[in-house]
Amino acid sequence: MLDLRVPSGFFFTLLGLILLGMGVFAPDTRAALTEANVNLYSGAAMLVFGLFLLLMAYRATRSHS
Amino acid sequence: MKLAPIDYFILALYFAFVLGIGWRLRKKISTSGDFLLAGHAVPVWITALAFIAANLGAQELVGMSASGAKYGIMTAHFYWIGAIPAILFMGIFMMPFYYGSKARSVPEYLKMRYDEKTRAFNALTFAVMTIFSSGISMYALGLLLHLVLGWNFSTAVLCSAGIVLLYTFLGGLTSAIYNEVLQFLLIVAGFTPLAILSISKAGGWSGIAERLRAITLPTGQSGDVMTHAWKYMGNASQNPMGVELFGMVAGLGFVLSFGYWCTNFLVVQRAMAAPNMSAARRTPLIGAFPKMFIPFIVILPGIAALALAHMNLGYDLPTKNGGFDYDQVLTTLMAKFYPAGMLGVGLTGLMASFMSGMAGNVTAFNTVWTYDIYQSYIRPGAPDRHYLKVGRATTVVGVALSIGAAYAAQHYNNIMDLLQLVFGFVNAPLFATFLLGMFWKRATGHAAFSGLITGTVVASLTWGLTIAEGKGGVFGVVHEFPSVMAQNFWIAILAWSACFAVTVVVSLMTRPRPEKELEGLVYGLTKIPADPGAKWYQRPAPLAVAVAIIVILLDIWFA
Repeated sequence: MLDLRVPSGFFFTLLGLILLGMGVFAPDTRAALTEANVNLYSGAAMLVFGLFLLLMAYRATRSHS
Repeated sequence: MKLAPIDYFILALYFAFVLGIGWRLRKKISTSGDFLLAGHAVPVWITALAFIAANLGAQELVGMSASGAKYGIMTAHFYWIGAIPAILFMGIFMMPFYYGSKARSVPEYLKMRYDEKTRAFNALTFAVMTIFSSGISMYALGLLLHLVLGWNFSTAVLCSAGIVLLYTFLGGLTSAIYNEVLQFLLIVAGFTPLAILSISKAGGWSGIAERLRAITLPTGQSGDVMTHAWKYMGNASQNPMGVELFGMVAGLGFVLSFGYWCTNFLVVQRAMAAPNMSAARRTPLIGAFPKMFIPFIVILPGIAALALAHMNLGYDLPTKNGGFDYDQVLTTLMAKFYPAGMLGVGLTGLMASFMSGMAGNVTAFNTVWTYDIYQSYIRPGAPDRHYLKVGRATTVVGVALSIGAAYAAQHYNNIMDLLQLVFGFVNAPLFATFLLGMFWKRATGHAAFSGLITGTVVASLTWGLTIAEGKGGVFGVVHEFPSVMAQNFWIAILAWSACFAVTVVVSLMTRPRPEKELEGLVYGLTKIPADPGAKWYQRPAPLAVAVAIIVILLDIWFA
């Protein structure tokens, strides 16, 4: 059976990289009501979450084999 | 709101992933059970998140933030009173009978426990209801995307429905459930930053409370009415919802909430997909943990929006036809707080919530149609291959009918309102039928059926004889409710009581079923298997206690 942590992990890793990239290379992309670099912080959080899911999936395959 | 190319790219990436998951799961389907019941092989953390996600449709997200702006933190009662107790009850007390009976659906359980006509009544109303509710939420989404992004209504509706169709057609219930988990995670990722940003901009919880004081005091209400969930529950005229304590706890917390979470096949189906009884019982209990925190990402931003609108920041509550259009609160906040990039994630989260709600409806409709209507009344006894084919075809038909319902909603708004009202009448008494069926072996089929019909009639009569905000009262006015919400809660209370009373009385007048036939279906005649392998934290009771403690703390915090 497909381990859902793999596609979800990849999805959030990609999403995190995209937003992080936006936050780093286009830091002036800001919304009207906030000074925060929203893309940078949310991207970093999503990247960490995505990598965490992938790590969990990896550990599961290792303990199985 | 205007989207940048990067936002469209994120949306496309999400579409690719949901379709990819459906594609990967397509090979697992070889029987109708694989397609319609997920082969009882889905890990429990997945069924638990899907259990919550199937209910977390776009209408819920949009509606709850709207209610946050309208009624304040009282809206959280829809979670802490109106969901958690029922979810715990379902996991601890009801799941053993659903799972233990080996029924494939909720209507099928009714057939095993009561009789054919009770099943038919439930299956037919449920099938019609799921189609219309997925159509209505599709309509709501199309309208919102049209208002906010200027997208064409038909394109938005057809595209999103088409993607749901594709992945459920490919991988059936498994695919719907797997995607619901991805969708749930995306909803959390897409809306948590919005909650953090809007609340901190409004000055934190204490800042919000202070600003709302200045807003509510001039209306004649107490200054802290929007930031207290319990303080003003004693009197309907003192709180913005216009509901009093008994109506809230008995109507919402007992009848409506237990009727939904314990008997609605849409959510029950997720728990039934678990691999064994222990996992099936843990599904709702684990799902309750994220469920009780959802108010923080959907209701609090709505409350913050009300405060922000009075801070001269350039944010105004959205309006339509001279009044406030609270349904746009969530999207207008996104436009103000999310830059290109995160905006794409937020919008994708909204799309994801719509899809999880719709896929929930479609897969539940599939199973009930194929097993409870087609296999039972139209063509019984065919080989399983045939029912797999029917299941797949039903997916297409179900989506097509939902699209039809969405267009009907666009053209005949009033009829849709009426339909939702009628569904409310049908749903309200249902929990009495299940409660008696599961815990009183004396309850009979004739009694259940007559109880359900009486309950439905009592619900319609209550609506016809009372009035609230100008609604109802078509047969005359016996009583006036302070709000439509109070009216709905009382309709539910009366319908439930009528169904309960009639079922008990008729049961005592009809011949009981032999106990042998009720084994595995009723309390006292069912062996609930002990689960010696489970660790203490995997057992239902400690999980439920943990949930209850956290919910009570949340209630005290926001009392």
